[in-house]
Amino acid sequence: MIKILIIALLLGATSLFAQVSKPIEMPYIDYPMVKGDHDEVAQQYCLICHSFGYVLNQGKKSRPYWTGTVAKMVNEFKAPIPKEDQQTIINYLVKHYGYEANAGH
Amino acid sequence: MDKINRRNFLGAGLILGASTLLGKETNKKIITSTKEFEAPIVAFPQKKPMKAISDRPPLLESSRDIFSQVITPNDQFFVRWHMPDIPTYIDLNEFRLEIKGSVEKPLFLSVDDLKSKFEPVEITSVLQCGGNSRKYYAASGQATHGVQWGHGAMGCAVWKGARLKDILNMAGVKSTAKFVGVNGLEKPAVDETPKFFREMEIDEALSGELIVAYEMNGEDLPYLNGFPLRLVIPGHFSDSWVKMLSEITVMDEYRKSFFMDVAYTVPDNDCECVISGSDFEYKRKPIAAMKVKSVIGYPTPNTVIKKGSRVQITGVAFDQGKGIKEVMISLDGGKSWGATALQKDYGKYAYRQWTYSWEPKAKGEYTIMVRAINRIGNIQPQVDEIGWNAGGYQYNAVDSVNVKIV
Ligand code: HEC
Repeated sequence: MIKILIIALLLGATSLFAQVSKPIEMPYIDYPMVKGDHDEVAQQYCLICHSFGYVLNQGKKSRPYWTGTVAKMVNEFKAPIPKEDQQTIINYLVKHYGYEANAGH
Repeated sequence: MDKINRRNFLGAGLILGASTLLGKETNKKIITSTKEFEAPIVAFPQKKPMKAISDRPPLLESSRDIFSQVITPNDQFFVRWHMPDIPTYIDLNEFRLEIKGSVEKPLFLSVDDLKSKFEPVEITSVLQCGGNSRKYYAASGQATHGVQWGHGAMGCAVWKGARLKDILNMAGVKSTAKFVGVNGLEKPAVDETPKFFREMEIDEALSGELIVAYEMNGEDLPYLNGFPLRLVIPGHFSDSWVKMLSEITVMDEYRKSFFMDVAYTVPDNDCECVISGSDFEYKRKPIAAMKVKSVIGYPTPNTVIKKGSRVQITGVAFDQGKGIKEVMISLDGGKSWGATALQKDYGKYAYRQWTYSWEPKAKGEYTIMVRAINRIGNIQPQVDEIGWNAGGYQYNAVDSVNVKIV
């Protein structure tokens, strides 16, 4: 089962000693994702447990790295991603956030 | 949000600079990460604007200038959660810390109980993520897995709370008990994702140094730093300093779990390292005691300084609790070294601030480097000497900052 936390699209003016007597309002950050090459598949699965900031923070990575990372999400963290969609996501990540391992060699 | 973020991420994110990346197939020293995405600077609840690596779960990094102070202000203290489902409200009338498992008398303690039924203790201690400074591994060899933190996933605060030992004694630990497990209120989005569960040996839990903190720098814990309770383990990396601590389970047997046996581990050998670029296939052990480290707080990289002005170079140093003996400084990229002046001692687990007064006499580019040694002779490795591990944990090589004298 997937519960997606819905966060108010509010960057509350945060007073520094805000009392937590009422719910805190978490800012929402729209981390950019390159369009095309089936970005919608990556959108669908890679934002379930964390923001796209996790991916952007990695810098450009090789195909083996992205293949391993997607496998880790599926095997260790139980990301519910069908096999063919995993491949689509890997290709998307390598194209826009990485490189083929042997590029330039 | 629009005003703050758009400018930061539009453009920046889409052009991830031309890569000079090479595969990890080669073992040559290469710098893997060139132009990174610049995370937006955003204010989260109770926080000043900080570098937001992620909003969900929140990952907020402190900026380097924070290291020119011994005590890190709460509103600039780094934030690191693992799971996206974090309660946005905690009612202290209902909140209870549960002590259960191999105990004579299970307990349900309110925050008020913790404040009134136990002797309050205070300790000034560094809190450092095991993956702090991870991105610098890229410069020493190969980039590693994990969140690419700069130095800003650490801080030092005065923690006040009740001793874990006193709490466990009130519950009465059974003689069969061997381990203590701790977890908090953060929950995964997918039920099958491993829970964030941490374990320690019973002797460690009863050592008297661990506290269940309800105050940080004289205030309630900030929400994002674990309100209302957080475990404090002085001298240890923060992986077991569980936030929003809600359950303490005394156990007769060790429970295998992802976050103990796979994440937060280093190679189980003396150097806790493997050949740069190796994969995770090695025998592992959990990270525990911190490594001697010093970082420069001022000047920050690329500061432009007028020739002849007096520069007060400063930063902090710390270790696993043995105490800092000396912090050396080099102004010529490591060719010659001098001594810095250690400032007031706030206790063996706290930052030790160091200062050095410098009057640059010639124009040009300078590389400032610092290197700490502790009282048992542990010394920071040089960047090209640091042992590598695939998880990118416990980076502590010599820090350096380039400045320009004009
Ligand atoms: C079922 C939940 C889940 C899904 C779905 C998921 N992840 Fe993750 N991801 C995690 C967890 C848990 C971590 C580790 C968090 C931590 O250590 O705090 C993580 C960490 C990461 C990291 C940080 C680097 C690292 O090695 O830890 C990256 C990059 C990443 N995920 C990418 C992805 C991509 C790409 C997808 C889509 C294919 C994805 N994730 C989908 C749970 C998930």
